[in-house]
Amino acid sequence: MRVRDLNKVELVKQKAIELLVSDGFEGFTMNKLAKACKLSVATLYIYYEDKDDLILKIGIEEVQRMVAIMLEDFDPELPFAEGLRQQWKNRAKCMIENPLSAQMIEQLRNSTYQDKMFENFKKIFGLPLGKFMQNAVDRGEINAIPLEVYWCVAFAPLYSLIRFHNDGQSLAGSAFVLTDKMIWDTFELVLKALKKINQYGNGL
Amino acid sequence: MGFKNILLFKTDIRTIEDKQLIAKVMDDNKIDQWTVDQQDIDCVLRIVSDKLKLTDIIQLVSRNGYLCEELT
Repeated sequence: MRVRDLNKVELVKQKAIELLVSDGFEGFTMNKLAKACKLSVATLYIYYEDKDDLILKIGIEEVQRMVAIMLEDFDPELPFAEGLRQQWKNRAKCMIENPLSAQMIEQLRNSTYQDKMFENFKKIFGLPLGKFMQNAVDRGEINAIPLEVYWCVAFAPLYSLIRFHNDGQSLAGSAFVLTDKMIWDTFELVLKALKKINQYGNGL
Repeated sequence: MGFKNILLFKTDIRTIEDKQLIAKVMDDNKIDQWTVDQQDIDCVLRIVSDKLKLTDIIQLVSRNGYLCEELT
């Protein structure tokens, strides 16, 4: 009986993510992965049926792990500013600490694997976030806007900053390191953009 | 988690037609847990079975005109 070795599985997963990011889905082969892991190709096929199975299983595991980080200490019932702050904190942590996984997930999002991959993810992730936005609308903290519009204003600025950070350079090509101050200054701007202004011109 | 009785082969089951033919062979022999990785250079055939031996599969696939060697 061949037993699944957990250290080996973890090694395969790490190397697979590295290879998928560096070589893309087309360039990725079981042979290359076996070489990178110093394992036989047969060992990989004990764990996975084929290349698609490997990409899907590893992709789904990574998405689950990232979603868990993103939803840490987040409650859809939180007041708007507090809840959004928590989400920024989680997302920044998640993507800065796991740049390769974040990049692989982005690649998956733009691939034919998309449908199979994100089916479950949408429910786990979309529900609390949708509820959080709806609560904020119901409490009069933000205007009623489509979820997509909300998402773009709420998170796209953070994602762009993190992309510059992970690339190590800004638009002009100069070196770029994202600081906490930049994150939270940007957050305040986003908050200002989303928060409803009352008749006295103040945010609620 | 234990993965037992996984049989792996290097083959030349390369095209959709090849796969259809092998599907019929597998079906006729009541082998239902099988996959072939046609994206791989070795077209790896993977079979999960409690009963079958390596030589059974090699004979079966070879008899139908395909290369079939144990993947090591």
